[in-house]
Amino acid sequence: MSNTFKSDPIEFKPTAALPAPKSTVGPIAWVRENLFPSISNTLITLFIVFILISLIPGVIDWMFISANWSGTNQEACVSDGACWVFVKAWSQQFFYGSYPTDQLWRVNLSLILLFAVIILSFTLPASFRLRVSIPLFLVLPFVCIAILDGRLVGLDFVNTDLWGGFSLNVLMAAAAIIVAFPFSFLWALGRRSNMPLARSISVIFIEFFRGVPVLALFFMGSVMLPLFFAEGTQVDKLVRVWIVLIFFMSGYMAEVFRGGFQAIPSGQYEAADSVGLSYWQKTLLIILPQVIKVSMPNILATFVMLFKNTVFLLIIGIPEVLQLLLTALSNSNWLGGHAVEGYVFVGVIFWVCCFSMSLLSNKIERDLDTDKRD
Amino acid sequence: MFKQKTTEQIKAATRPTDTAAHAFYNNPKYRALIYQILLVTGLLYFFYTIISNTLGNLEAAGIKSGFGFLSNAAGYDVLMSLIPFESTNSYMRVFIVGFLNTILVSALGIFFATILGFIFGVMYFSKNWLIKKLSVIYVETFRNIPLLLQILFWYSAVLASLPGVRDSLSLGEAVFLSIRGLVIPKLIGQGGGSTFVYIVLVLAIIGIFILRSWAKKRQDATGQQFPVFYTSIAMILGLPFVAALLTGFPFVIEYPVLKGFGFNGGITVIPELMALTLSLSIYTGAFIAEAVRAGIQAVPHGQTEAARSIGMKEKKIMSLIVVPQAMRVIVPLLNSEYQSLVKNSTLAAAIAYPDLFNVFVGTALNQTGQAIETIFMAIIVYFAVNMLISFIMNRFNGNVELVGR
Amino acid sequence: MKMIKKISLVTIGMAGAALSMTANAGTLDDVKARGALSCGVSTGLAGFSQKDEKGAWSGLDVDVCRAVAAAVLGDASKVQYKPLTAKERFTALQSGEIDVLSRNTTWTHTRDTSLGLNFAGVVYYDGTGFMVSKKLGVKSATELDGANACIQAGTSTELAISDYFREKKISYKAVTFDTSDQTRAGFESGRCDFLTSDQSQLYALRIGLADPAGAVVLPEVISKEPLGPVVRQGDDQWFNIVKWSVNAMIEGEEQGVTAANVDDKLANGKPGNKRLLGGEGELGKNLGLNPDWAFQVIKQVGNYSESFERNVGQGSPLKISRGLNALWKDGGILYSPAMR
Repeated sequence: MSNTFKSDPIEFKPTAALPAPKSTVGPIAWVRENLFPSISNTLITLFIVFILISLIPGVIDWMFISANWSGTNQEACVSDGACWVFVKAWSQQFFYGSYPTDQLWRVNLSLILLFAVIILSFTLPASFRLRVSIPLFLVLPFVCIAILDGRLVGLDFVNTDLWGGFSLNVLMAAAAIIVAFPFSFLWALGRRSNMPLARSISVIFIEFFRGVPVLALFFMGSVMLPLFFAEGTQVDKLVRVWIVLIFFMSGYMAEVFRGGFQAIPSGQYEAADSVGLSYWQKTLLIILPQVIKVSMPNILATFVMLFKNTVFLLIIGIPEVLQLLLTALSNSNWLGGHAVEGYVFVGVIFWVCCFSMSLLSNKIERDLDTDKRD
Repeated sequence: MFKQKTTEQIKAATRPTDTAAHAFYNNPKYRALIYQILLVTGLLYFFYTIISNTLGNLEAAGIKSGFGFLSNAAGYDVLMSLIPFESTNSYMRVFIVGFLNTILVSALGIFFATILGFIFGVMYFSKNWLIKKLSVIYVETFRNIPLLLQILFWYSAVLASLPGVRDSLSLGEAVFLSIRGLVIPKLIGQGGGSTFVYIVLVLAIIGIFILRSWAKKRQDATGQQFPVFYTSIAMILGLPFVAALLTGFPFVIEYPVLKGFGFNGGITVIPELMALTLSLSIYTGAFIAEAVRAGIQAVPHGQTEAARSIGMKEKKIMSLIVVPQAMRVIVPLLNSEYQSLVKNSTLAAAIAYPDLFNVFVGTALNQTGQAIETIFMAIIVYFAVNMLISFIMNRFNGNVELVGR
Repeated sequence: MKMIKKISLVTIGMAGAALSMTANAGTLDDVKARGALSCGVSTGLAGFSQKDEKGAWSGLDVDVCRAVAAAVLGDASKVQYKPLTAKERFTALQSGEIDVLSRNTTWTHTRDTSLGLNFAGVVYYDGTGFMVSKKLGVKSATELDGANACIQAGTSTELAISDYFREKKISYKAVTFDTSDQTRAGFESGRCDFLTSDQSQLYALRIGLADPAGAVVLPEVISKEPLGPVVRQGDDQWFNIVKWSVNAMIEGEEQGVTAANVDDKLANGKPGNKRLLGGEGELGKNLGLNPDWAFQVIKQVGNYSESFERNVGQGSPLKISRGLNALWKDGGILYSPAMR
């Protein structure tokens, strides 16, 4: 045995290299890796693909290929597909409500101002960003109301009954959240306060407005609030709803801010105390800017919720976009079931707005994240 | 709290001792007291004004206020009620009927939303690209469209296209699906035998809880696992079945029969309930899926790697390592999603589902004109239900929370 | 801190601007001071109050608003329409948000006596009826045992149908929708076997069906639904103005005064015509209005017949026949108290 070893020393023969692994790059590999990694996954993939194939062509055909695009009245809708003529004919109503046609620039101006302020608040140099954009935001709702109403700035008076449409949804949501901002900040401070009464009042307030369905609040605004004011005092319905929305929002935002406060390291409070800042100096100059920064994604999420909730205003007859859609559906010249077109149209508008806001919120969240990452 | 107090104490100790600082208005204690007195006085004045205005307005308008109307006959019918109801019953009974319907749709919604949310939340972590994208599409689509639109869409575009009652889709002539809803056979118990079966069912449920705690104890002590899930299913199905066999199957199955304008017999699930449950669970499910995703992402990756390194299977890693830890993040989010689902169920008003808001704040308010009373009662109910959910979820949260060492 | 103070000041200021104090001098003075009539209408009901794609309102209920505006302000277009849901209509009137409610509201004892309201006459005599699909072959409401009914929530119909079926010992299921459009959709999709509503609405809803001929309106009318404008209690002058603005339209039809011939009738008509149109007598002064109040109503809005035919009658898609709403001398029950 040992002899053989010695007499016949084995030559070093490397074993043949394994064949190159199946390609791990390129489209085929990607498909194999991501769509058919196992038998069960393959079945699921095939099932999903089958569902998509059976659904999508019909939808596309209805929405685009055999849809009716041109015309001004119901008679123009002849083919089987969607009747976009309906949406087109009512588009001004859907966007602006009954606001006078020659005054529409005022609505557009308000929307442009809103977007301008939003963009400014993201693009201004950081050194004075908050100091400029916060006052701008707080003044904005009142400027917009003055422009839309017209009496204060010497334009034609346009009654609030004529305001409406999707622009109302946007402006209403924006005006509510902006005015709710300082209130919710106070409520959040109250909830963190050492004063027992202030704390319990804040807790009751916040929990009340978070615990009650927004529909009930709207009903309060439309049928209960008028009874709360002194006899002979009338408050415009839109203003009442606005008040309700502000309260509702400040309840939610207070909780967002509370989360923000909790995220601020206690060292910040202690540092502010140690340099002798007063309570308000500490809160407004040191804590608030940081709270706003860390709460930004949640503020946006809350805004999206509020924005979607403005649709509920239809239950109390405010001419927001869905209410106008229902009005259009019951018009005797347009009777004939354009409901799906209408719902799709309104749904797509909301989806685009809300989705872009959630993308923005994700981006802010990522930007914030990098600060903490080492 | 503790830290803040110490800084206050430090401040007090190091405060310069000139006279202005000694003035009572500079003493934080008195200051707080004065602030609070002002606050409370302001609030009291506010409520006093509101109440006196309201009373004055009601009197001037000649509206009778009070809860006396609750004992009057309602005079209208309600589409669906879990307790017997007819139009000669009082408004109070309308209130209870609506309340039970709200509870029903909320419970169904919470159940299905949780299932959908967890499925789609976990799907996000699938290796299958299509499944992952499906999860993303689901979340982003349904989260970003107002719920009211979704309810209207499901109800008036999807469910309305089901066949008429005479052309119902049927499953073995026992289950029927039509525009009138889903009709399923009904199990009717007879005599004492059926009571025995029900008792056994309750005993089986209690038994499962005992089994669970025993299995947990045993696992803690010995490390041996017990198939709790399958045993539970066997118990809840098997024990009543055995009991039914022993008593000679004391049940009659009532099949729905098409007669006249609709089905007689069986249990009918009205399409309004289906549409509302569907849209509430899909909408809330999208938010829950997002919460589940966030929760799973919050679990450090090292946990998964550690589990892999001791040779656990992928499925076990998800269910035994990742999800239990993710629950710490998920449960508080679930709490608020459940609460908003209950609040959103008020949108039943948009379709004909007779929930509390629809039959009470809607119709009763309109018939009686008692705006303040009806809205007040409804608000109390929703508030109480949400408090209850919050209480339960906080208890649950206590169970999943990390135990500090 | 300062900023917050400033903001709260601005807020209070704006809130103050939004509050409009109405002196309790009376609705007439308020309307004149405002220069426009605030009128509560339905959010959308074909033939009665509907908005077109230009945002212009039309309908029988809307014409009542326009008539009152024409009588008070001399201009039928000076109306601020407040679309209201069924639930908030009475509160809106009670709180003073609107001056008159013209929103197909049924005149009932309870509403008249317990809500602090006054009904200023009847614009349309209606009754609860039934619409069924022709395919069912139902000839009478008594054959509807076990059927599902589509009803609009919060209406007096809901009470009427419950009474009717209980009396006849017929069982039914009430599917109550929030808007009339939804009841139509529910009926059309087959969710319910029959639709019940005010007869006027049945016709309006029927033309909305894909196949209007496939549905029939049953002959039974099971309740009285007189629809009319409503005002607040406690302002008799305003109550009279609304009441007589409606009566002026009816009287106009009785006397054969139309929007086209109103100028001629004022100049050359019979004494009755002249009294109505303000050529003679003090009808306007007694109401606290201009002498030409009724002239403006008929000139700008038309008489009852014109308004009816334009909105719900032969000139409209609804094609409702006059029936009960014909003049008393034509077999209906429409009757204006004497204009003298």
